[in-house]
Amino acid sequence: MQIKRKAQAGTMQSSDLMVFLEPADDLSIEIESTVKKQFEHLIRQQIETVLARHQIGSGHIRISDRGALDYAIVARLETGIKRACD
Amino acid sequence: MVVTLFTEKEHQLARALVESHGLRFEQNFDVLLGIFDGNDLIATGARDRNVFKMLCIRSDFQSGSVLGELLTELLNSGAYSGYQSFFIFTRPEHSRSFQQFNFTPLVNHHKVCLLESGNGLKKYLQRHQELVKPGNNGAVVVNCNPFTLGHRYLIEAAAAQVDQLYVFVVREDRSIFPFEVRYRLVREGTADLPNVTILDTSDYAVSNVTFPSYFLKADDDLQSMQMEIDLVLFGKHIAPFFHINKRFIGTEPYCRTTRIYSDTMHRVLASFNIETVQLERKTSKEQAISAFRVREALKKEAFETLTNLVPETTLNFLRSEEGRALRAKLLDYQRRH
Repeated sequence: MQIKRKAQAGTMQSSDLMVFLEPADDLSIEIESTVKKQFEHLIRQQIETVLARHQIGSGHIRISDRGALDYAIVARLETGIKRACD
Repeated sequence: MVVTLFTEKEHQLARALVESHGLRFEQNFDVLLGIFDGNDLIATGARDRNVFKMLCIRSDFQSGSVLGELLTELLNSGAYSGYQSFFIFTRPEHSRSFQQFNFTPLVNHHKVCLLESGNGLKKYLQRHQELVKPGNNGAVVVNCNPFTLGHRYLIEAAAAQVDQLYVFVVREDRSIFPFEVRYRLVREGTADLPNVTILDTSDYAVSNVTFPSYFLKADDDLQSMQMEIDLVLFGKHIAPFFHINKRFIGTEPYCRTTRIYSDTMHRVLASFNIETVQLERKTSKEQAISAFRVREALKKEAFETLTNLVPETTLNFLRSEEGRALRAKLLDYQRRH
């Protein structure tokens, strides 16, 4: 799939996250998190897995995380992807 | 549920809530949001371009999820409008609660803090990484509405005192000459100076974010506070990145706002070991050259006078079709600077 338009998903509530997706020529993932020091690598891994599953190789993906668990990250990102792609 | 406040009645409720928190209700915003409990407005917050403001939550609702709900919708509306980073001004005691929402403090002032979400400052600096040169560097921040021989003189004199001079052109478009034109004329007018680098200030110097009152001539207290925020941002984040230890400024005979700014500059930048160097203004016919004089002469189409005030590059522009269109705009309304 390809990111064709700007889309967002999620909330800024505790244990949730917001995902912002935009079309771009290359792939960039930007992570802000209240638990960035401890978990940035795991959040990134999770995002890369979901993107790979949907065969997304380009786009600007920005995450603002407030300590979300894995399944929340997957759910929010998948919703964002569905909104950003056809 | 967060709703958009549209009607005059809803705006009055928001005003009452904002004023009960000791803040000023401002009319200029892109969107004003609120949360109701029955008929009572218990929370409000506004977005003015990329600045969140007037965030107020009635005290008995402050411990819950209300702030998260408001920020979610403010971020959503901002992202849909194309912004990636957002600013918020808040009192020092509230700085921590916004940090819980991934806002990073940029300036901690004893009365007000400026925080940012979205890493805009970091990205701004990264974008200019290749312009960074070692040495004893200097900076000027200019609006150049439009570029005059006075600016040229200031930049030339400043460049002679440092290894590299960074000329920050104010990005904010509140002047007759649009940013694109101001930037281009500065570039063209300094192209022969090898150690001068031109760049834009983005949101990080004398913009709506760091310095709203500059454009409003508001009351002085607010004004000096905003000047300090602007200067701390420069001293703390921008200057060290570019190895800047001198900031140059022209003497200011006309404009009170700009004169107070230069006094504050000496004091604030000294605390970051940055020297403020004041340079005498270049004069023509015993009067300091200013962009204001240029605009007055342009209105009258006094091209003879203009040749004494602006370099050839600017003169050529003023004579061009684009320049003549701006003259018509200039005749339309009167402004400072």
